[in-house]
Amino acid sequence: MASNDVISVKNNITKKDFRSIFWRSFTLLGSMNYERMEALGFLYSILPALKKIYKDDPEGMKAACHRHMAAFNMTVAPSPFVMGITVAMEEMAKEDKNFDVDSINAVKVSLMGPLSGIGDTFFWGIFRILACAIAVGFAQEGNPLAPFILLILFNIPNVLTRLFGLKWGYSNGTQMLTDLQKSGKMQLFTYCAGIVGVASVGCLIAMWAPISCPLVFTISGTEIVLQEYLDQLMPCLLPLVTTLSVFAYLRKGGKVILAICAIVVIGFVLGVLGLIA
Amino acid sequence: MSLIQALLIGCVAALTKIEGGWLGEMKLREPIVTGFLVGCILGNVEQGLKIGAQLQLMWMGAVGIGPTAQLDIGTGGTIGVASALMTGTGAETAIMFGVPVAVLMQFCSTLLMTFYSSFMARVDTEIDRENYKAIPLYHYLVGILDFLMYCILTFVVMYWGNTAIEAIVNGLPAWANNGLKAVSVMLPCVGFALLLNIIMEKSLAPYFIIGFIPAAFVGRDLSMIAIVALAFAIAWVIFQLRSTQGVVKASNTTSSDEWED
Repeated sequence: MASNDVISVKNNITKKDFRSIFWRSFTLLGSMNYERMEALGFLYSILPALKKIYKDDPEGMKAACHRHMAAFNMTVAPSPFVMGITVAMEEMAKEDKNFDVDSINAVKVSLMGPLSGIGDTFFWGIFRILACAIAVGFAQEGNPLAPFILLILFNIPNVLTRLFGLKWGYSNGTQMLTDLQKSGKMQLFTYCAGIVGVASVGCLIAMWAPISCPLVFTISGTEIVLQEYLDQLMPCLLPLVTTLSVFAYLRKGGKVILAICAIVVIGFVLGVLGLIA
Repeated sequence: MSLIQALLIGCVAALTKIEGGWLGEMKLREPIVTGFLVGCILGNVEQGLKIGAQLQLMWMGAVGIGPTAQLDIGTGGTIGVASALMTGTGAETAIMFGVPVAVLMQFCSTLLMTFYSSFMARVDTEIDRENYKAIPLYHYLVGILDFLMYCILTFVVMYWGNTAIEAIVNGLPAWANNGLKAVSVMLPCVGFALLLNIIMEKSLAPYFIIGFIPAAFVGRDLSMIAIVALAFAIAWVIFQLRSTQGVVKASNTTSSDEWED
């Protein structure tokens, strides 16, 4: 397909412009700051489309730029979906003078929460964990393929989500979203993703947090290895208990940084005392 | 450590910083990747990967969610692996230097994000002047500042701080080493807890047990892939069943406000 295939006849937005938005979407977090968060990155990403839409309307362009300088923040991978919807809505706004432009930001804001929730579950909870877990096995053997396995496994869903998110967002984003929310499939989808997520975390705790107790007693000539008793109770009991305690603390609103410091201090002391290895 | 090596390590740290902002969080910051890169620079790829794997497990749950600064595992991992390779020691050294650096750089990132806020008002003024070139300009400027900042900082630590690092490592008593080893096996639990904190709901608890029990009893012989495949199958069946019924039992109490914290 030629790169100048026209997607939107009215505003002469071409495939090339969409490709540009796609690449620019990777830089969304590039100018992350506390005041507007990802706003500048968002505006930068959709700029090629805005320039075409408001080619002969300088006031409209100015207003649109200000509109997208409003604070915006979400998990980056699904963000092109929002960009697609935004471009579609900007086109509507240009065409229909009665179009309520505030609804554009309203849609963006309403998407930040749910899409970030889904994005975090998938990209931080599942894709990253799987990619890292598989790559760790190779890295432990010193296999130089490990980093490439990690990057490829993670970035396939990362790139595909961006590519199709942008397309779907533009062509039928608003419709799709209302359908999903009405039917409740969105929550169901997140829930089912959660099943895979928690099962892999459960598995990881057992496999990759090898906390053990090296204590050995000698009572009337027989050696008693404490860890063997713990294993009879339940294998991998110590990592499970540690993880769940930290989890309980975080769920009660505990600070992550405090949890890390506490574990470092507790771990260090127990290690020095020879209770944990 | 030669000047070139220190500079290249600085570039690796800077790369992990701009990866999040400019390369769409493609995960160059993961310790396996930085371990590999630092290993290449210091001429010991195998050891770099092994130490990277250890750090990777420790930071498995180092998630970055919402606008708050996150644990900087990119710079932490880079400096950690470099210190270990430089002194010819193992993962304990990497943890000893990597963990504090990751925490310190988190604060550094907070400062930078506050500072960058001041650019936003300027962009607003430029838009009023219809100077749209300012949009990419300021966007890029932040990236360049980030890169230089992290590159120079890491370079200074590596080039002028290496004798201090060596002195600390060589002077480390055996008991401290035991303590650091214990920290390295306990820290992954924080990561897993963080992950659970994102995903966990009460109704998901059985699936957590489905993941944990077989792995705990059968151990390493049982591939993680089998467990995850099973979980995928269950998730798919539940999705099919419930979506045809149109009933959603999933309690969705947390997902809406999680991204904020």
